[in-house]
Amino acid sequence: MAVKVQIPTPLRQYTDGQDVVEVSGTNVGEVLQALGEKYPGITERLLENGRVRRFVNIYVNDEDIRYLNDLDTPVKDGDEVAIIPAVAGGQA
Amino acid sequence: MSGPNEHNQESLDRYSRQMMFPEIGEEGQRRIRRGRVTLCGCGALGTVIANVLTRAGVGFLRIIDRDFIEWHNLQRQVLFDEDDVRECLPKAEAAARKLRRINSDVEIEPIVADVDHTNILEFVQDADVILDGTDNFETRYLINDAAVKLGKPWVYGGCIGSHGQTMTIIPGETPCLRCVIESAPPPGMAPTCETAGILGSAVNVIASLQAVEALKILSGRKDAINRNLIYIDIWEDVFKAFKIEALREKVDCPTCKKGEFPWLEGKFGSHTTTLCGRNAVQVVHRRNERLSFEELAEKLKGVSDVRYNRFMLRFTVDGYEFTVFPDGRAIIKGTNDIAKARTLYAQYVGN
Repeated sequence: MAVKVQIPTPLRQYTDGQDVVEVSGTNVGEVLQALGEKYPGITERLLENGRVRRFVNIYVNDEDIRYLNDLDTPVKDGDEVAIIPAVAGGQA
Repeated sequence: MSGPNEHNQESLDRYSRQMMFPEIGEEGQRRIRRGRVTLCGCGALGTVIANVLTRAGVGFLRIIDRDFIEWHNLQRQVLFDEDDVRECLPKAEAAARKLRRINSDVEIEPIVADVDHTNILEFVQDADVILDGTDNFETRYLINDAAVKLGKPWVYGGCIGSHGQTMTIIPGETPCLRCVIESAPPPGMAPTCETAGILGSAVNVIASLQAVEALKILSGRKDAINRNLIYIDIWEDVFKAFKIEALREKVDCPTCKKGEFPWLEGKFGSHTTTLCGRNAVQVVHRRNERLSFEELAEKLKGVSDVRYNRFMLRFTVDGYEFTVFPDGRAIIKGTNDIAKARTLYAQYVGN
């Protein structure tokens, strides 16, 4: 199952600057694991104790996985997984 | 009677093009004229929001900001000019002067202050909508606490580099900020405008979206608000609307489900004090996760030479020397100004 994963700017240091990468998996957890195998170091930025870090949100085809099935949310060929960290700036 | 070059304050003529837009109409415009807005933060997002809302004819606009204008603000902070920098004006005051010249119908109340748990209720209790023009999650969670507690709508916006995000919160109806973003990125984990840069266009897009949300709410059209988390990247042509509505039911949010308001009670957030006689300020940041010096050093690579061991990390920017500790605490030398130190902390260390 080839899934497109959107990589946010701060994490592109792990993906050789690529904004979208393709990895395989049947659910979101597998996709993130495959991502970490291909690009070492990135998984630690996204997961902590097997859970998605609280300031990172993950969407499958624009749906938040927290109201789907979290890391067990199934994915299929052609699905898009977006990793969206919280955005701080705006004032200074 | 007023002449052709005079503006009659009772008249809605100057808003004719906005009233012609059928979703607003004359009734919507009258409601906007009665509307009261509190804007927290008047920098990049805040100046654009204040500009749109003042021209749109809100009744009352309170602008709170803790900062002064610097040269590097002019690239994107649309209400300020070179004279304001030379005069060393606070942002709230300079914005108010400009806005009053733009539309004298609008009552503008500038407040030079740091929004914190001791003053926020006073600043927002009489507002119909609260707008987020801040640059840090500490203040955003504080706004969220106050808004949910008082049942007031508010509009979150954030921008970094070429991307940004915004969502609209109607307490009791939509997910709140904490339902969607469960906690702030730890210091060093999230880029700031000072480490990742920021494009004026990205700010203009996000702030314009925030401002129109305020106009929907003020004109009585809550039914039309954005119920998604909007995410844009203007350099990469990404425009996304992530569906978040169902989170309200699904997430066990301490703020909206349990009525806990820790930011409002001063339990979280930074407790900042001047270090007497040292021309330094200590910024204390209460948090559970420890700071990663490796990540912070990586983030600051282009900004300054960074040295660290396992006890502290040190770097110097613009003559301010930062000493950061693993618990997130920092001592900033070169100032006695608490608001300035908090700004520097948010800029270079994080939220």
